[in-house]
Amino acid sequence: MARVSIKVNGKDEACEIKPRTLLVEFLRDHLGLTGTHVGCDTTQCGCCIVLIDGKAVNSCTMLAVQANGADVTTIEGLADGGKLHPMQAAFREHHALQCGFCTPGFIMSALELVAKKKNPTEADIRYGLLGNMCRCTGYENIIKAVKAGAEAMARVG
Amino acid sequence: MNQVDASSFHEIGRSVRRKEDFRLLTGKGHFADDYNMPGQAWTVMVRSPHAHARIVRIDAAKARAMPGVLAVFSGADCAADGLRPFNHNAVPSTKYDMKLTGPGGGSVFVGRHMLLPADKARYFGEAVAMVVAESREQAEDAADAVAVDYEPLRFLERTEDAVVPGAPAVWDEAPNNVLVDAFFGDHAATERAFAAADHVIGHEFHVGRIMPLPLEPRAGLAHYDAASGNYTLYFSTGGPGIVRQRRQFAAALAIDQEKLRLVALDTGGNFGTKNRPYVEHALALWAARKLGRPIKYRATRHESMLTEYQGRDLATKVELAMRKDGRFLAMRAENVMNVGAHCVSLSPLAKGAGLITGSYDIPAATLRARGIFTNTVPNNVMRSSGRPEVTFAIERLIDMAAAEFGFDRIALRRQNLIRPEQFPYTNAVGSTYDSATFEANMDLGMKIADWGGYEKRRQEAAARGRLRGLGFANYIESSTGSPRERAEITVTPTGRVEVVLGTQPSGQSHETSFAQVAADLLCVPIDNVEIILGDTEVVKEGGGSHSGRSMRHAATVLSLAAPELIEQGKALAADILGVAPADVDFAAGRFVSTRANRTFDFLELAKEAQARGGVLKVVKDNEMHTPVFPNGCAVCEVEVDPATGRVHLTRYAAVDDVGRCINPMTVDGQTHGSIAHGVGEALFEQICLDPASGRPLTESFEEYGMPSSTTLPPLTTEIVEVLSPTNPLGIKSGSEGATAGAPAAIISGLVDALKDFGIRDIAMPATPLAVWQAIENAKAGSQANNKARHGSWKWRA
Amino acid sequence: MDDFNYHEPRTLAEAAVVLHAARNGVYIAGGMSLIPALKHRRVRPSDLIDLRLIDGLAGIRREADTLVIGAMTKHADVAGLDIVRNSIPDLARLVGEMADPSVRNRATLGGSIAHADPASDYPPALLALEAIIVTDTRRIAAAEFFTGPFTTGLRKGEIITAVNFPIPDNAAYVKFANVASRYAIVGVFVARRAGKVCVAVTGAKPCVFRFGEMERALENSFTPDAIKAIVMSAQGLTADIHGTPEYRAHLIGVMAQRAVASAAAKPRPA
Repeated sequence: MARVSIKVNGKDEACEIKPRTLLVEFLRDHLGLTGTHVGCDTTQCGCCIVLIDGKAVNSCTMLAVQANGADVTTIEGLADGGKLHPMQAAFREHHALQCGFCTPGFIMSALELVAKKKNPTEADIRYGLLGNMCRCTGYENIIKAVKAGAEAMARVG
Repeated sequence: MNQVDASSFHEIGRSVRRKEDFRLLTGKGHFADDYNMPGQAWTVMVRSPHAHARIVRIDAAKARAMPGVLAVFSGADCAADGLRPFNHNAVPSTKYDMKLTGPGGGSVFVGRHMLLPADKARYFGEAVAMVVAESREQAEDAADAVAVDYEPLRFLERTEDAVVPGAPAVWDEAPNNVLVDAFFGDHAATERAFAAADHVIGHEFHVGRIMPLPLEPRAGLAHYDAASGNYTLYFSTGGPGIVRQRRQFAAALAIDQEKLRLVALDTGGNFGTKNRPYVEHALALWAARKLGRPIKYRATRHESMLTEYQGRDLATKVELAMRKDGRFLAMRAENVMNVGAHCVSLSPLAKGAGLITGSYDIPAATLRARGIFTNTVPNNVMRSSGRPEVTFAIERLIDMAAAEFGFDRIALRRQNLIRPEQFPYTNAVGSTYDSATFEANMDLGMKIADWGGYEKRRQEAAARGRLRGLGFANYIESSTGSPRERAEITVTPTGRVEVVLGTQPSGQSHETSFAQVAADLLCVPIDNVEIILGDTEVVKEGGGSHSGRSMRHAATVLSLAAPELIEQGKALAADILGVAPADVDFAAGRFVSTRANRTFDFLELAKEAQARGGVLKVVKDNEMHTPVFPNGCAVCEVEVDPATGRVHLTRYAAVDDVGRCINPMTVDGQTHGSIAHGVGEALFEQICLDPASGRPLTESFEEYGMPSSTTLPPLTTEIVEVLSPTNPLGIKSGSEGATAGAPAAIISGLVDALKDFGIRDIAMPATPLAVWQAIENAKAGSQANNKARHGSWKWRA
Repeated sequence: MDDFNYHEPRTLAEAAVVLHAARNGVYIAGGMSLIPALKHRRVRPSDLIDLRLIDGLAGIRREADTLVIGAMTKHADVAGLDIVRNSIPDLARLVGEMADPSVRNRATLGGSIAHADPASDYPPALLALEAIIVTDTRRIAAAEFFTGPFTTGLRKGEIITAVNFPIPDNAAYVKFANVASRYAIVGVFVARRAGKVCVAVTGAKPCVFRFGEMERALENSFTPDAIKAIVMSAQGLTADIHGTPEYRAHLIGVMAQRAVASAAAKPRPA
């Protein structure tokens, strides 16, 4: 067993886990944060993406022990009570989700994308989301939502 | 059917933002893998490493002795417990379905889908035993340790190999592997028309095997309560929905369906593959009873790709007879569906059979439709099942005819379209189309695609060394589906309008769009309407979500239920006001009477009902068989890098006549996804088997190409609303149509780009390798491109 | 995934000791190739030795005409930092087009080349730039490092600490990517330094390789036309569902010509 201490959505979480525990298993099974999903096993679908120290990372291709001491943000950590984060709100406004399974990963990727470039072009967004797959939307409304979300985030600072 | 008066609609037709979104955006959805219970054990399947093999012996002694292992079960154990094969209702049987028959006109033998087969494994990856252990890892270890002796048999991948004399039989009951052989249309009239024709164009196409691939892998948690004898399965599903799947699971487990509860709240995509039950869920329920533990199952992506029901795989030979002025005279077609190792659905074959003549007025046609067993994963419906295949054939054939005989491909289509005044129109194989304005669709599609600006874009591409092509296709599809639907509407004293329906969404926004319909029909605020789905504790009847049925059936049964609830309200209001029910009107959402001052809305009335010990509630059933025919067109532009064969889809526009559109935002969204599925099929997606072993080579997202954010262009879509006369709100269907037209449009554009090489056809998917080979072959003067990949079929063999 | 012991050594020496003591020890850097292999049980270590806490393994610096990139440097940094863009712009571009952003946030140079995927993008860069792989015990020329599919010249327990990239006069990488995995079906890295030309090819054989015939022609004339007539034999090239050997042979020519055109147009930044 290994002891890990990870800050998740602002809360320190410390526990004993088997070293083979993936970060996504730690989040889903140990903490009950089931908003982070597993869609593949080859690091391609992006359903499991979370932010680690602000960077978008595939939580299914990382051991929880590798995140020891890190600051992790999951989809559950974005909304302020009943008020959606501007990027979440943009996804709703632009109908950027249908089944919603891939959505948390897209939002986390979008947040890093906007952190790196405040006003991304359509091409920036398309290339910036290459690590996320969606089978429902044809990406069309996701691109629009990320653009709008970036603008909204710039407005609120 | 009487149409509902639309003049008072406030919500219908508006892009209402979704009720589903808050939970999905904040990580609070309930997907199949999100359920856990204390004390749960895990199951992992032992899967066949052969595509076709006799199971000689299963030795689980070593596995049973491993740490944490609770049980190992095989097909013999299932048989000993009296478990039954799944009844998949594989043969379409509603009133308007094309009637498929076995060889010689008899019944169709569909194989037997045992939960675990005891005799043979019939495709690579088929589960032959199950292991249950305390942890998933322990179950995986033990599954590796189960020793199965196989006697490998020759396996069949392609239908043309399966019908050759001497081919191995997938099922002893079908020694030549043929399960369907049916004929449609007027043979004599067709032959006469062909004999009199000036031109005949013919071709063979193969629309390949692909995977629906929703991003949520299969998972589930099964629970058995020994005290009550009740089973519960928490999972995700689609298609026929929990009502039918409850019957199917109960029948397979040989239990009373009243003892089984299915809960499927959020489903992470479907596209058809979740439309039929899976053995792992049934086995988990069975093991939960046998072991007295909750049993959890979760497929890896790899496992999903090995075993999820697949789609398409139709070989078609088509011929079109024409007059020298371009008028279409007759068509004949021979469609062969590869159904896989056992048959879970013949819907693709039947749906396509009814639409072979497409959007065109073709006076005579014949069709021979066959279904063939092979040693491949069972082939199921997939988004727009059956329609993309036949759309591809007729639309590509028209392009070929135009090129061959010197017609303009657009003018040739216009000349032969069914005209608005011909509706209702019965086509030459017996399908009666309800309504459409095909030529207006074409005009609109060409306008939003900037058809006129194409030549300039082509020249600009040529200056960059790229070959640009312009593609076009019309499509018509049929929406039928399970004919029964029930609505239960309760107005609660707390001010909610609860609507229970038996559909099964997997992203189609039912909680929002159904609420729009209910709100308008009952004149209540949409925020007060709650749509309840996905739990057999409350959903007792309903047909699920497939074949574009949900909105049409839901809105129809709601439009029948709403007047009854209004009558109840009038009666109650009359009672309260002390007037005759006939003196109460329902106007602008209020129950009013000229004989009293007091008025009520539904919510106020519900409180009154409670005070009187009653409830405002209606349960309404409806059965509706008449199909509708959504239709539209697609225009696209592609660019080819002739040095590498890479195809870039650069522009895409689609027009879809969905009948009355309830929520344009969600319909457009589903159209985008629908296009993406067609793009994937045309350019990227294919299942490849290792020819030696039958092992799939496309068993991960690393090998199976799909559209991405960088390979799809911006999508331009327009909704057309030609109301269908078949149902009260005039609804047809959205979400599948664009898939039907996309492959034909894209290959049309690609062939246009490559026409100077003399290329007439390219097999799908048009991967860079395939396009490069086509160009090389054309340069070498070979005709190989112009033949379909799959072998030729004899007429009336 | 199997159970394993997990170690977080603080020094290279400690890491090597742990590895040699383990029954079947494996180092982990970013883990982007290793963790999927663990999940699929293709690699079943008794001990996993994480290099992340060892100081000095990450970072990029320029030493005269050499760019030194630490083994634990993440792809996102190689792709994004000006120090790389200003000295070997096409190396930054190559890394910026590997996989996808979230993978690049975790994947490392050392992990990538130790994995030695025959369709990976770093190996042709190392080979064409005549890079030196620096380990805890020695320096290895790229030509000696890549020895076969998923195999390298590393000895048991040896740890890559950095890679030294000599800065070329001209360089370009052109990749024809598999649309699903974004690995190279064929990728060609062309580099010219002091009149010497190297052409390295990935994705086409079980191991990255140099194409000498093209190199000689380009040393005479660094133009696409100089290699137009040079066709690689399809013999021994990879065959899979994405490409036949003949297709790959053809693509090598196309990618090489495009790389030369691109490299010739981009002389070394001042």
